Amino acid sequence: MTTEKTAEKKPEYLKVEIARPRSYKWSSGKYLGKLYKEALEKKKLVTNRCPKCKQLMWPPMAVCGRCNVATGEDWVEMSDTGTVVQYTYLVFPLWDPHYGDRLANPYPTATIKLDNGVFLVHFLEEKDPEKLKKVKRVQAVWKEEGRGRGLADILCFRTIEE
Amino acid sequence: MAELTADRVERLKDADVFIYHGKIYIPASYTAGAVGSRFLIEMRDNKKIMGTRCVACDLVYVPARSVCKHCFAQLDKWVEVSDRGTLQTYTVAGQANGVQPVDPPIIYGVVLLDGASTGLVHMISGVDFEKLAVGMRVKAVFAEKRVGSILDIKYFAPL
Amino acid sequence: MGNRVAIVGIGQTYHKSARKDVNQQEMVGEAVRAALADAQMKAKDVEAVFTSNMETFEGLFLPDHLMADEIAAYMKPGLKVATGGTSGASVVEEGFHFVASGLFDTALVIGFEKQDTGDTTAAITAAVTPVWGKGVATGAIGEFAKQALTYMERSGAKEEHAAMVRLKADKGACRNPYAHLKLGLKSIKEVLDSGYLVWPLRLLDFCPQSCGACALILASESRAKKITKKPVWIADVVTVHQEPFRAGSFGDPTGTEEYSQDIAAERLYKRNGITNPMKDICMAEIYEPSNWEEMSHYEHYHFCEKGEGWKLVEKGITEMEGAFPVNPSGGVIATNPIGGTPTIRVAEAALQVRGDAGEHQVTRDVHTAVATALGGPNWTVMTLLRRSL
Repeated sequence: MTTEKTAEKKPEYLKVEIARPRSYKWSSGKYLGKLYKEALEKKKLVTNRCPKCKQLMWPPMAVCGRCNVATGEDWVEMSDTGTVVQYTYLVFPLWDPHYGDRLANPYPTATIKLDNGVFLVHFLEEKDPEKLKKVKRVQAVWKEEGRGRGLADILCFRTIEE
Repeated sequence: MAELTADRVERLKDADVFIYHGKIYIPASYTAGAVGSRFLIEMRDNKKIMGTRCVACDLVYVPARSVCKHCFAQLDKWVEVSDRGTLQTYTVAGQANGVQPVDPPIIYGVVLLDGASTGLVHMISGVDFEKLAVGMRVKAVFAEKRVGSILDIKYFAPL
Repeated sequence: MGNRVAIVGIGQTYHKSARKDVNQQEMVGEAVRAALADAQMKAKDVEAVFTSNMETFEGLFLPDHLMADEIAAYMKPGLKVATGGTSGASVVEEGFHFVASGLFDTALVIGFEKQDTGDTTAAITAAVTPVWGKGVATGAIGEFAKQALTYMERSGAKEEHAAMVRLKADKGACRNPYAHLKLGLKSIKEVLDSGYLVWPLRLLDFCPQSCGACALILASESRAKKITKKPVWIADVVTVHQEPFRAGSFGDPTGTEEYSQDIAAERLYKRNGITNPMKDICMAEIYEPSNWEEMSHYEHYHFCEKGEGWKLVEKGITEMEGAFPVNPSGGVIATNPIGGTPTIRVAEAALQVRGDAGEHQVTRDVHTAVATALGGPNWTVMTLLRRSL
């Protein structure tokens, strides 16, 4: 096995930068497409259901992995309210490849259990670390102008009192 | 860097399908390592093209590399090869793409330098494409400003 | 079952944040030469070569095309495999299958990552559905941060317990010549004083980005006995996939559903007559990206009841001198060349079975060991090693 050698004088080692932005096109496919359409046009979240086990797919998809059957078009409207089950926030800025920069996202991210029982990851509006500890019930705040970007048409989730 | 997300969402006309056009930028680089660095530095500082020799297999690898592919020996014998060589094969790239170092058309060739056992891929310039021929003698033209890159050889020109 | 397969050669590089003195293929070659030296074999004695890394993490595409010469693969058959965090275990499984099938008598399997050339967190962030975009711009670390919070709430574990795990790992790493971070930590206070990276994960709660490689030589039974007096037998390998995006955006992260780890453990133990893992297995090298994850994994691999992983730590059971040592090598939290990380788990477990781990050899005798891997959408790979079959 190898162990590190300590060089007496430091030789010059070259490093070549090879990165450049890469373009891509990504298709939602028809099942996610339905979710995006409903979010864009009606500000609603929908998903489909497995015909066999009747469980909600999430995100909507063509095949139920548990039953290995094609799911089809049994669409269900979902609540946009839910309960925060996990959250975190960035203290140290990380490189965001979609921006090409090192960013500390201003919003905490959370795993939210929607009232239909599915889980999604999104932002919380609440930024105060102390108040975050108490955040439980939240509701989606939809962007005024959706763009057909599915869950990204939701701005964040706002604390609600019930 | 400014925001890359000059993104666009395209919606298909006859189906509820969304096509998302975006860009991704992930930092990336390549470490040349000790052997690769020495090869590049000799070109940059001394306009010398260096190879590594496998004594057992009697081969000189250019660009220099650390291992002989035939016998798995680690190579530490450095030899200078000539800046002149023979064109082994060539092609021309007419279409522009994002990674080309100069504007097309670009003639790419494989040059077997005198003293080397392996061909070096580079650009051929200063000659009409029609006049090129396999077996033609060529010579390295070094860039005036050299930075430690394979492009410190600007191109190979006919002798 | 196929033919018997043994690990007959083990090699790894030292690990660092940056290795400017080598290019990627030269670094991988160091591990290959170390494994060949360990097995006292020559490059020509290896019939096939299998590699694994996550190339987007390094930003260098088709790395296997560049490295045939350096890894003794010139003119030989082989494949590269990439399965996320589990890559380096999948490549061991791949070599195991090929040798077990009888197609090859010897195979070299390699996991590697040279992380000073790319940005892993950015690559993972980019790998999510583009439409979430900046929504999950926390790479893997954000997910493990949230899982730490869940583990705290579910089990009652305190930050002090996570700090104890880090202290245990550092003790191992300091004795392991190939480990990356050797911090020489003296108290849990030092861990608790390190700042938050992604709340509630502190700087010292999470794994580093390392450059390094690990290579294993696998051999059929007849060949293995000629190569070495101390073959380590691969008794079984189990891979379990979970739903898409399970560990990321969609699945139930609170531990109420089945986890791939549970399924993999049940399957492995049942197939190999293991009724009490803590007794029938002697030690484990597990894939813990964070100290919190280690405690949670004790439970998912059935080393203890659910919610009690932190108690194993508190009692010192998983220490190097304990009844069931876990990660005496220092683990992932000390050394993480991603594609190489799960290969190192298998290598380190094999060294323990051979009794060749040197200063970090555990106190108890190890006749059976398990190595695990965790990746992408909550995949699990478990490799069971035995001194005799």
